[in-house]
Amino acid sequence: MITYDAIVVGSGITGGWAAKELTEKGLRTLMIERGREVVHRKDYITEHKPSWELPLRDARLSVGTKGAEEYPIQARTGQFRESNKHFFIKDKKSPYIEDKPFTWIQGDQVGGKSLIWGRQVYRWSDLDFEANLRDGHGVDWPIRYADIAPWYSYVERFIGVSGEKLGLAQLPDGEFQPPMEMNAGEQLVKTGIERAFPDRHVTIGRVAILTQPLNGRLPCHYCGPCERGCSTGSYFSTQASTLPAAQATRRLTVLPNSIVHSVIYDANKNRVTGVRVVDTVTKQTQEYQARVVFLCASTLATTRLLLNSTSPRFPNGLANSSGVLGHYLMDHHFLAGAGGSIEGLLDHYYQGNRPNGIYIPRFRNLGDDASRRDFVRGFGYQGGASRQGWGRGGGERGFGVELKRKLHDPGQWSMGMTGFGECLPREDNYVELSDQKDEFGIPLLKIHCTWGDNELAMRKDMAASAGEMLEAAGCKNVHTYDAYRGSGQLGAEPGFAIHEMGTARMGRDPKTSVLNAFNQAHDVPNLFVTDGACMASSSCVNPSITYMALTARACDHAVEELKRGNL
Amino acid sequence: MEHDDLITRRQALSRVAILLGGAISAPTLAGALDAATRRSWIAPPQDWAPRTLDAGQLELVAVMAEHIVPQTDTPGARAAGVHRFVDTLLSDHYPSPERDRFVAGLADVDARARSRHGKTFVECTADQQVALLTELDEAAYPAVRIDSPRASETWFFRRMKELTVVGYYTSQVGATQELHPSPFGAYRGDIPYSSVGRAWS
Repeated sequence: MITYDAIVVGSGITGGWAAKELTEKGLRTLMIERGREVVHRKDYITEHKPSWELPLRDARLSVGTKGAEEYPIQARTGQFRESNKHFFIKDKKSPYIEDKPFTWIQGDQVGGKSLIWGRQVYRWSDLDFEANLRDGHGVDWPIRYADIAPWYSYVERFIGVSGEKLGLAQLPDGEFQPPMEMNAGEQLVKTGIERAFPDRHVTIGRVAILTQPLNGRLPCHYCGPCERGCSTGSYFSTQASTLPAAQATRRLTVLPNSIVHSVIYDANKNRVTGVRVVDTVTKQTQEYQARVVFLCASTLATTRLLLNSTSPRFPNGLANSSGVLGHYLMDHHFLAGAGGSIEGLLDHYYQGNRPNGIYIPRFRNLGDDASRRDFVRGFGYQGGASRQGWGRGGGERGFGVELKRKLHDPGQWSMGMTGFGECLPREDNYVELSDQKDEFGIPLLKIHCTWGDNELAMRKDMAASAGEMLEAAGCKNVHTYDAYRGSGQLGAEPGFAIHEMGTARMGRDPKTSVLNAFNQAHDVPNLFVTDGACMASSSCVNPSITYMALTARACDHAVEELKRGNL
Repeated sequence: MEHDDLITRRQALSRVAILLGGAISAPTLAGALDAATRRSWIAPPQDWAPRTLDAGQLELVAVMAEHIVPQTDTPGARAAGVHRFVDTLLSDHYPSPERDRFVAGLADVDARARSRHGKTFVECTADQQVALLTELDEAAYPAVRIDSPRASETWFFRRMKELTVVGYYTSQVGATQELHPSPFGAYRGDIPYSSVGRAWS
């Protein structure tokens, strides 16, 4: 048995943060990762590769195509393609059972999904933290904006966030580097929307991508596909940001190729004492000890681990005296919005592949006259404008010299946007362990998750309001869409937004929640969960920065409690 | 198969550009590379051989592709190796039924040429080839959009044209000679189009 001060399970967005904070506060920390090592720069094997060096020219590898054989689930996401497939898990290494379609996108490497995330970062507001209390869905959050605001600032200053301050109560401003520019099409649409709807705002996306140097990382050079890895460290990832900080303390040990089978619990002390790990290559089992354990394995992997950690005291999963562990699974629902073309602006163009788009903050159900009666909570939009490229040539009549001449110039402008809607926490959206096991002897998760009436009603508004705004901005050929098809068909089913969260929620009452206000298990004081599993509601904004802020805050609390001898 | 995302995926150059520190356009970089490297981008590796198409089918694809994106003041589809790209996709990406459907589409093109002119498509004169392709193009992209069953009959030509366009504009020739990649460096959201004069690849 090898003993550390702290064990962190997972090395993605929250695992990296936990490792950085705990080591910087003096704890000898073991960070355990099920996937392979990925070394910053060296292992970004497709970074800056020109298209002609990729045999399939960076084809999107959809389900059923050659090249996607080992990724039948991962290939469902539009992100999955020739140039980044090596940063997604081979599905047979982490199978699960879908009661209804639920797409579980997973990384399988040091850095986890921090290498391939969307990088959009928005603070929650008290509109979000008070939502459960106000409308009665879910349990009240044990924290409010004031509790987390300093931690948002702390995180933003370290990871680097570019964006524009708006002074909106529902989308608090942060510590921003200068925003990226909008293009001419987006400026035109912004002007039109803000003129027609004074309470709506179009801003450039707030992204964890640098526009100024920070801690040895360089500003974005606009090559485009961040998810291949970034040698200049211009977007936040474990490799670019938290891992070097943790390693600089000389108190970090990273253990890749090691999946945690279960957390070891000592009923006499009512403490976790360590973890049981399976080497994914040799299948050998090894135990590691620590005084405090942080679970940052990603929402569903963390909850699976807790469910698989049983003992006479916790026969239904560790720290599950409440019985709510596994329940209240959420994801954002998206792929409902609108698109249209923009006339003119043909002497306007842009330079650089900006890995960012525009954002329209939530404007529904802010407690004002605009409130809707047919659904609660709200949504925001992400989108962007661009000029058509050469790809249009495959979809229009004409060939030969005429076609080549036409494609020499960019085509007309078009604008598109998709809503990201809040999902209510529902008990009947849940995961459980099945009686099948994976190659490491860990039971497979069975996932039960569907959209409810509130999400489906909200989607209608997401599409209609997008169309209404594009019309108001003067766009032509405006079409609305909703990719949700229902009846168990894939289209916009839960999981697609890759914002899965909940299943080990925070709350005030140990009888109805797993974690307290500091992400500490109500039942077991030295066990912390700081990834998406902790979420008690989902807001409509991208969640990762909130996970980071909660992680940093929880680490601070854990170390204080250790010092006080309470853990 | 789904190359629609490629439309917006303006590929940049090699990591060399980063090492050199910023905004270096493709031609500049190409000029910095030795001639052998540049030749290797255009010429097939010596041991290259088609794995799905036979020699006749490969030539048929090359001839059709060159009609779709011909040589002008810049090289066309054949010089860009579009036919090799098509064979690669058919071999390494297409599900088998779709691959077979594409190959059957090639046979259909030859059947049309034979019934019209008594020769294979490749043996037809350039004018005859263009006339046949014009028929296929007009059927595939009707002025008024009609859904299947026509769509199924015209699947082959739409796919052939899409593959040619993708194969050409993602090739070194198409991406750096006919068009230019957007240079690394700053992002400028609103510049006069006249200052660029061609689409980014």
